[in-house]
Amino acid sequence: MTNITLHDMTLKDFTLESLPRLTELRRLSFARQPEICIERARYITEYLRHHDDPADAPEVRQARKVNYFLQRKKPVFHDRNLLAGSTTSKALGAPLFPEFFALTLWPELETVSSRAKNPQKLTPEEARELNLEIFPFWMDKNVLELTRKRIGNARCLKLFESLVFFIAAKAGCISHAVPTYASMLEHGLSGLISMAAEREAAAVAHASDEGNRQADFYRAVQISLQGIMEYAEHLAAEAERLAAAEHDPAARRELLDMAGICRRVPARPAATFREAVNAIWICQVGIHAENINMAMSPGRLDQLLYPYYKRDMEAGRLDIGGAVELIGCLWLKIADNVTMVPEASEEMFGGAGTVPAITLGGVDADGRDAVNDLTYIMLRVTELLRIRDPNVNARYDYEINSPEYCRRVSEVILSTRAVPAFFNDKANIMALTGQGESLAHARDYAVIGCVELASSGRDYPASSSIMLNLAAPLEMALFQGKRPITGEEQIGPATPDPATLQSFEQFWEVFKTQLDWLIEQAIELNEAMGAVHQQMMPSPLLSAFFTGPMDKGRDLIRGGSLYNSSGATHIAFADVVDALNAIEQTVFIDKKYGFAELLQMVKSNFAGPAGEKMRLFLQNRAPKYGTEHPIARKNARNIVRHLFDLYQSHTNYRGGPYRPAYWTMTNHAGLGGITGALPHGRKAGELFASGITPVSGAAPELTACLNAVAELGGECVPGCWALNIKYSPENDMAQMTDRFAQTIEAYFRAGGQQVQFNIMTYEMLQDAKKYPDKYPELMVRVSGYSAYFKDLNELMKEELITRTMYDLANGRAVACPAEKGGE
Amino acid sequence: MLDLITEQTLKKLGEKLNNSFASETAEEFLQTLLNLMGLMFTFHDGYRSNIKNFEGRYQFCSKDGEVTVAALFHDNRMEVVEKKIDRPDITITFRNGRTLLNFIMSPRQDILGSMLRHDVMTEGNLNYLYKFGFMAKQLQLMMPQLPR
Repeated sequence: MTNITLHDMTLKDFTLESLPRLTELRRLSFARQPEICIERARYITEYLRHHDDPADAPEVRQARKVNYFLQRKKPVFHDRNLLAGSTTSKALGAPLFPEFFALTLWPELETVSSRAKNPQKLTPEEARELNLEIFPFWMDKNVLELTRKRIGNARCLKLFESLVFFIAAKAGCISHAVPTYASMLEHGLSGLISMAAEREAAAVAHASDEGNRQADFYRAVQISLQGIMEYAEHLAAEAERLAAAEHDPAARRELLDMAGICRRVPARPAATFREAVNAIWICQVGIHAENINMAMSPGRLDQLLYPYYKRDMEAGRLDIGGAVELIGCLWLKIADNVTMVPEASEEMFGGAGTVPAITLGGVDADGRDAVNDLTYIMLRVTELLRIRDPNVNARYDYEINSPEYCRRVSEVILSTRAVPAFFNDKANIMALTGQGESLAHARDYAVIGCVELASSGRDYPASSSIMLNLAAPLEMALFQGKRPITGEEQIGPATPDPATLQSFEQFWEVFKTQLDWLIEQAIELNEAMGAVHQQMMPSPLLSAFFTGPMDKGRDLIRGGSLYNSSGATHIAFADVVDALNAIEQTVFIDKKYGFAELLQMVKSNFAGPAGEKMRLFLQNRAPKYGTEHPIARKNARNIVRHLFDLYQSHTNYRGGPYRPAYWTMTNHAGLGGITGALPHGRKAGELFASGITPVSGAAPELTACLNAVAELGGECVPGCWALNIKYSPENDMAQMTDRFAQTIEAYFRAGGQQVQFNIMTYEMLQDAKKYPDKYPELMVRVSGYSAYFKDLNELMKEELITRTMYDLANGRAVACPAEKGGE
Repeated sequence: MLDLITEQTLKKLGEKLNNSFASETAEEFLQTLLNLMGLMFTFHDGYRSNIKNFEGRYQFCSKDGEVTVAALFHDNRMEVVEKKIDRPDITITFRNGRTLLNFIMSPRQDILGSMLRHDVMTEGNLNYLYKFGFMAKQLQLMMPQLPR
């Protein structure tokens, strides 16, 4: 049975010209300068200073803190968006979470508003309040410092703080989740509160320690959800107040409508499509009162909202234009916040949004085609708005979903040049069932943040727990446990001098020794930080939107979810594979170079004519990941397999496994910039390849490249990956769309899990770098998320320019202009 | 109100600090910065509010061992001593004066780059460093002769 009633799935009659509200809201979204919002930091600090009771259970303390803030959160209406509620008090706000890294803003309180790169406005009064009232309270109380109190300046903490080995992301957040709002829409928050109250009473009746713990959790759920309901009431009151002062009848009507909606939802069940959309949005705002705005992903909205859409359409209460407008309003609301990024972090994370992912299409829990009218409406809104957030992703089952759907998604990608990203249902469902998820639950997966996978509202994967630099253990293997950047300090185990090894297999063992040691360190720190989160940052509010916690009476952070895991992603995958290839082929098979000779050249950054000769040989003649070369394929497989086995052998503090992944945000640029030369002819400071993408210029044939990546997919990559492919645009878009869709299908049939695109030329990106004002809205895919090109740091811009570009018509890589010049 | 002598001392220290920005070595940067801070804490009410009730122990060391300076904040005052101290809240080890200057208050401040390149290494609570960074930056903005 199909859920498609649209006559034109492209919805081409709906344009920005015919949707003036969306046009204006979109204009505002580009015109606004981000502002730092200190509201949350102010109220939670005030609460902890004056009202907190340390004798309460951690969940109750957290709930009271969140409730206190939500009760005081300012209800604001900045524009003519049809949805009530805003993430912060500012039109485009960066909320501060002093529990994490907000204090990194301290050195630039007086300059952040005027800094050259991505300024964020902060008033002098707010800066003063942060300096004298708020930040001093948190000096010894954020997650990182509480971790230090727990483990001291342990080895693992020092490695993290040196920044060049791994990032322990729990110091900055867990977030990264896909809640489900189905129960909220069906029962209303009042209904969820009643359920929690009943279960609290039952738990208390048990009169046991476990019963008391459960009762605390259920009490915390009620307190935090009550906070959202009060915030909705305040929105209603403010809308009524504004309506009373409004002279324009249409604007007054809109405000009164919003007031009426906020009086009903999310407290009560949603009765209409519009109520459902606004209820979801207000709960999404509520979630950010508790958890930082990083990759909190609304999930499969085309599935969740479809019954409300269908009912309203059938009842004549809604038309397609009205649905497009409401979804557009939701997209723009989701984009109403950014993260606070200190100037120092621009190098690593500059230009990133908050990556709330929305997932469209694919199959349903029974394996049937889930694509419906709303899927196409959401695709059209994505195509029209072309904004960085939300991060829209399209699932595709090549056996179940229609070719027309695949073609339509392809069309939107070619039209926007960047979004959505494509996800392969077959491979991703296999990856999740491999993690013990039931088939029905795996089929209901959604994307978190960049690319990570989770069964909607059942899976709490803390997917960015560890970001590990694979080049670090490679260098440690080359230099007996030391790295050039850390000098003579013995970092890892003192493994043998590679020059003494007799075979590549021996070097592989040395590499694994260093890699395993480093991963053990990263896991040790993640476990310590997890324990701190359990005490300091439980999530009773978020738990209410998950299956599991309400049945178990246990917070997400204590393993309340149905499925639990911790994610570990890896930087420099392609570079490390190519380095291993070069060592195996040139040192041990061809014996072209001795290991000592190679090491000497690597140390000297391939200095002198002999060094350059060797470098060119390694770069041009050694096997490359992204080709069909058997050595390259074997080494790529071996790393993926080894990482999978190693991580899966560890159980985290919530009782779940670690899941490896391959996405890099912008870390591949920053970490590449500080890493020494490597044996595949990469010079010191050159950027690493992004995600699981082959090194730029290393994979000349598109088909071979896609196959080489695809064969790694499935069971061993449960955290998914980001593959970046750049195509040159063609004049005949219809023909290009056909080829594009065919290529996707072939890649997915070969096992590829995910792919994302930039449809732009080297020259266009070079021009955008040179003349940023000419391209104010140019959106690009980085490694899992979208960004505006002008906002990226210089290294990332360079990385995007030099990424291999393919001509889809002949499947060949196109030489970068700089390379052409060199020919 | 600053008296004439204090004003002249401040001016002199400001010029000295300014020279550090231009100098290749910037070896005297830390000492000058701490002296200037000390004077401002004494004579400028607004600036002094930064250290009201603030307890903090900072250890600064150069990698070559030439510089070992501690800044101790206690009783609304700052004390500078040239020695190793017990229980520092944070220890900042820098390759040379220039790298420390770039780290703390260069107009093109490069905190992350300094740490990534291991020009500067820290051990301890970074929030103390962020607070110190604010006070240094505020001082920079108050001294018109210093580069912004």
